Amino acid sequence: MFNRKFQLASGKVVVARPSKIPLISLLMIVLIAIALQVTKFSFTTLLLNGHQFFVILRGMLPPNLKFLPRIWQPLFDTIKMSFLGSLLGALLAVPLALLAANNIVRSKWIAGFFKFFLSILRTLPTIVVALIATFIFGLGTMAGTIAIFMFTVSYVGKLTYEQIEALDMGTFEALESLGLTRLQAFRYGVMPQILPTYLSTTLFSFEGNLRYAAILGYVGAGGLGIILSEQLGWRDYANVGMILTVLIVTVSLIEWLSQTARRKLQ
Amino acid sequence: MIKFENVTKIYDNDHVGLKNVNLQIEQGEFVAIIGLSGAGKSTLLRCVNKMHEITSGKLTVNEVDVTKLKGKEVRQFRSKIGMVFQSFNLITRTSVLGNVLVTLVPSLPWWRRLLGIYPRSAKLAGLEALDNVGILEKAYTRVDQLSGGQQQRVALARTLVGDPDIILADEPVAALDPVTAKVVMNDFQRINQQLNISILLNIHHVDLALAYADRIVGIRQGEIVFDGPTAQVTPEIIDHIYHSHHVEDAVNEKVPAHV
Repeated sequence: MFNRKFQLASGKVVVARPSKIPLISLLMIVLIAIALQVTKFSFTTLLLNGHQFFVILRGMLPPNLKFLPRIWQPLFDTIKMSFLGSLLGALLAVPLALLAANNIVRSKWIAGFFKFFLSILRTLPTIVVALIATFIFGLGTMAGTIAIFMFTVSYVGKLTYEQIEALDMGTFEALESLGLTRLQAFRYGVMPQILPTYLSTTLFSFEGNLRYAAILGYVGAGGLGIILSEQLGWRDYANVGMILTVLIVTVSLIEWLSQTARRKLQ
Repeated sequence: MIKFENVTKIYDNDHVGLKNVNLQIEQGEFVAIIGLSGAGKSTLLRCVNKMHEITSGKLTVNEVDVTKLKGKEVRQFRSKIGMVFQSFNLITRTSVLGNVLVTLVPSLPWWRRLLGIYPRSAKLAGLEALDNVGILEKAYTRVDQLSGGQQQRVALARTLVGDPDIILADEPVAALDPVTAKVVMNDFQRINQQLNISILLNIHHVDLALAYADRIVGIRQGEIVFDGPTAQVTPEIIDHIYHSHHVEDAVNEKVPAHV
């Protein structure tokens, strides 16, 4: 196993390259040990208090059905934030993706700038944006919508410009040879080719945003998160159970709808 | 009429695309341009409709000095020159008719361009062009569902609907099987003869070039090394065009240039 020399019948000798796996494994073990130290992770605590998780989970069952009427409004708020934010974000993503695509914008600097802008936008955690937005637009769904809007712009924008850059530019050249401007060539040559993936990306983003929207209420940005944090604070686990049940059903339903729609787009 | 006078094209990376090219093509000629890959065939074509800028010399197309055109003038000028490509360069996920109608986009009012709605007259012109190349029944099919030969004919119809004076074809049959290649070449010949459209065609298949073109232009390392009627082309001339250095000595006599 450790003999890395191979002698062939012809007398030629081949030496296998030394494996890097032992070194990498050692490094991983050291890193995990350091991580355990730094995060103060302890198996003892896990064993001693772990069962509390199931206590809470049992508290949630059965969910309190009487709490249902109070959930509808925040639920619709959540869907509304997610829907509006995704829609507006996806629309703004198109011109930004265009400006960031190297093969559409001739200036390396302009494309680079918009790429950088989209990256910066993406590094901002949605919950932080939501928190800042509550300072500007006040508590409520407006702040949540803004946060989701910003995330969608960056997410759909990046995936779309990558899509545009991967396009075969032959069509674009053909349309330019017909006397179309670059913008017209984009409208007629690029748009029909990226439209299905763009719509699919937008729907996918909408799905994800719904889950995000549910927790944005924690920072006061409206939606289910508000009553979730409230009921958790009162340790009313039956109510929390009801909220989570509604959330799970809604998210699965919308995911299923979105997946069906995306399959049709292929 | 297309007239190259001492045209030189040097790319940004110092690669010489065309070297002192002199060439005159009358309206309605069918010219095949042959030569090795990278000899400058594509460059020559793309200079004609200003997809490439020339570095020096003079290039006139139908009495228009191409080098002097700017912005909107370039686009109007291009709309009278059709172009066909090796890989068809059609808009995927779009119907055959939709691909053909794109040619008419610059002539539409802005709101029609934005919404992508074509007037009835445009659709009729598009269908006529499709009928001309024999794929009328595919008008509402998506282009990606067509065979290579059919796709190239869609590309041809796309140029025809703009009522061009010239069609530039860059290796139009290189991606097609021999039988389909002949069908497409027949289309080019028919269009050339019936509509008196000049055709400049880059081609690797020398046999097809000799069978269809009236005139052959041989190009090697950016220079025109042969220019004459198809009937004058001999195997020695083909060798001269295609073979580099060592054959150059064997074919020492200079081939007379066609004027």
